[in-house]
Amino acid sequence: MARNAVTLAPVAPAAPAQAGEGYWRIAWRRLRKHHLAMGGLMVIVVLIAAAVFAPWIAPYRFEQIDLLNRFARPFQAGHLLGTDDLGHDVLTRLLYAGRVSLLVGFAAAFSAVALGTLVGVVAGFYGGIIDNILMRLTDIVLTLPVFGVLLLLGRYFGGGLIAIIVIIGLFGWTVTSRLVRGEILKLKHLDYSDAARALGASETRIIFRHLLPNAMAPIIVAATLDVGGAILTEAALSYFGVGIQPPTPSWGNMLQNAQSYLWTSPWLAFWPGMMIFLTVLCFNFFGDGLRDALDPRLKI
Amino acid sequence: MQRYILRRLLQMIPIALGISILMFALLTLAPGDPVDLLIASDPRVKPQDVARLKRIYGLDQPIHIRYVKWLGRTVRGDLGFSRTYKEPVTHLMRDRIGNSLWLTVTAFFLALLVAVPVGIYSALRQYSFLDYLATTFTFFGVSIPVFWFGIMMIYLFAVWHPWTAIGGLSRLVLPPGGISTPGVPNGLPFYLDRLRYMILPSVVLALLSMATYTRYTRSSMLEVIRQDYVRTARSKGLAERTVINKHALRNALIPLVTIVALSISGLFAGAPITETVFAWPGVGRLLVDSVIGGDYVAAQAVLMFLAVLVLVFNLVADVGYALLDPRIRYD
Repeated sequence: MARNAVTLAPVAPAAPAQAGEGYWRIAWRRLRKHHLAMGGLMVIVVLIAAAVFAPWIAPYRFEQIDLLNRFARPFQAGHLLGTDDLGHDVLTRLLYAGRVSLLVGFAAAFSAVALGTLVGVVAGFYGGIIDNILMRLTDIVLTLPVFGVLLLLGRYFGGGLIAIIVIIGLFGWTVTSRLVRGEILKLKHLDYSDAARALGASETRIIFRHLLPNAMAPIIVAATLDVGGAILTEAALSYFGVGIQPPTPSWGNMLQNAQSYLWTSPWLAFWPGMMIFLTVLCFNFFGDGLRDALDPRLKI
Repeated sequence: MQRYILRRLLQMIPIALGISILMFALLTLAPGDPVDLLIASDPRVKPQDVARLKRIYGLDQPIHIRYVKWLGRTVRGDLGFSRTYKEPVTHLMRDRIGNSLWLTVTAFFLALLVAVPVGIYSALRQYSFLDYLATTFTFFGVSIPVFWFGIMMIYLFAVWHPWTAIGGLSRLVLPPGGISTPGVPNGLPFYLDRLRYMILPSVVLALLSMATYTRYTRSSMLEVIRQDYVRTARSKGLAERTVINKHALRNALIPLVTIVALSISGLFAGAPITETVFAWPGVGRLLVDSVIGGDYVAAQAVLMFLAVLVLVFNLVADVGYALLDPRIRYD
């Protein structure tokens, strides 16, 4: 899922670190100069706010049907963005769908990255046969035609929010696990790890206190980019009817029938896709900026 | 080299086995086995028939024996029988692989032909206007939902066509889906007709790869032109063309070979969405249709085919990389 990274802005020349300034402060200072990333972040904040406050902003209830005004054009009959084949207000559904799509995006990306981090840490830290087995497992999952497998699993267990989150998370951890494993391999032989070990620190302490905090940069970047990827996956699954099921709206399932009405009501196809596009684009801009701010050498 | 290939082949065995177990699990996870589905669709089936059928199909046996038998059949090329199409799955796939190849191969070359020059130019003129344009394009390419891009292209080029008003330009209107117009004679007219049908889906299918290849070409080229040997070439007084084409480009394209080989199978795997949006009768659409229709045997067979394709191209990528880059140790 982390295929989405491109370097856009020039890497900001490392500003001279002021005394006493921590890593995160420096990163934040660098991030603030990255216009696209900040723009993306602002749009993301607005989208999240719109989703959270949907019940107060939305002009209608999401399941409310205006039977007399099906296929209303935008600005017609009191529907700002028109209505769909059942007479749902499109704007209202877009707002509510944002809740579902963003929630799936965040939750799936979080589970994928958590799982990937776990696998990566265990493989990198313990090495040997455990590493071998976990990395072969990663190879296997990487070889799977993931979208097709998700389609099939969505058909088996789909419909529910939790099921979609779990299956996307379950197949999205591979990139993170490789990244984290690489980081851990690099970090575990640095002097401070050896020092901690020499002082008799336990394995858990070394992992949580010394290794993980220093491996946070790639984890955070991968998580950000994964949110966009998970939103795209959910949208595609829902578009094919094996993701989130109506009447619960998601940006993907709003597009499910839109293609058949393209000749008569093209606006039905435009808005949900535009929302997906915008959201994923902003997460990619933000993730890209984060990478430049945290560690420009990262290859994600 | 032979030893390297042999070793890679041996390393593939556990992965292939792991995939086969996952694939078998996918089939057995299906809600209801084929006999259950048969009963569901035909209430006249008697309990003793059910038991007999389950015995015939071997569904009463323990899971590991079923796996071994299934693996044996699969390796011999028997991918099972499609419930909805009433045909062996291998026949279904044979008819569709050709159609998928039309689309995949076109999209592949389209992506390469655009991405490599754009990527090189972007790298050579870093931070120029065109570089920003190209990089923005790669962001768009990886962020746009493929199916929505497809629907929008259909809208722009097949539905909404102001050019129909301009007499004679209505030929620019492209078909919104399908693979050919019925009744078009063979030969040149057939290919011209096919071309019209292929334009939209191949552009849509190519977009993601185009964005990815552009990004890799650019970053790889950027890395190479900073190398010492490029500076050496320049300092010897070689023409800039020679420096770029002979010294930089050749090295920059090596990592691209890996990405490209790895992504050919990705093109195939990405085709389900495009093929469904454009009603293109390929393998990808077969996958989507059989998943939606609950034909799990067919769906799983297509997935197996895609996984094998990925395995093969992974090997091609590794070997290609080792062949092209003498710095890679392969023993």
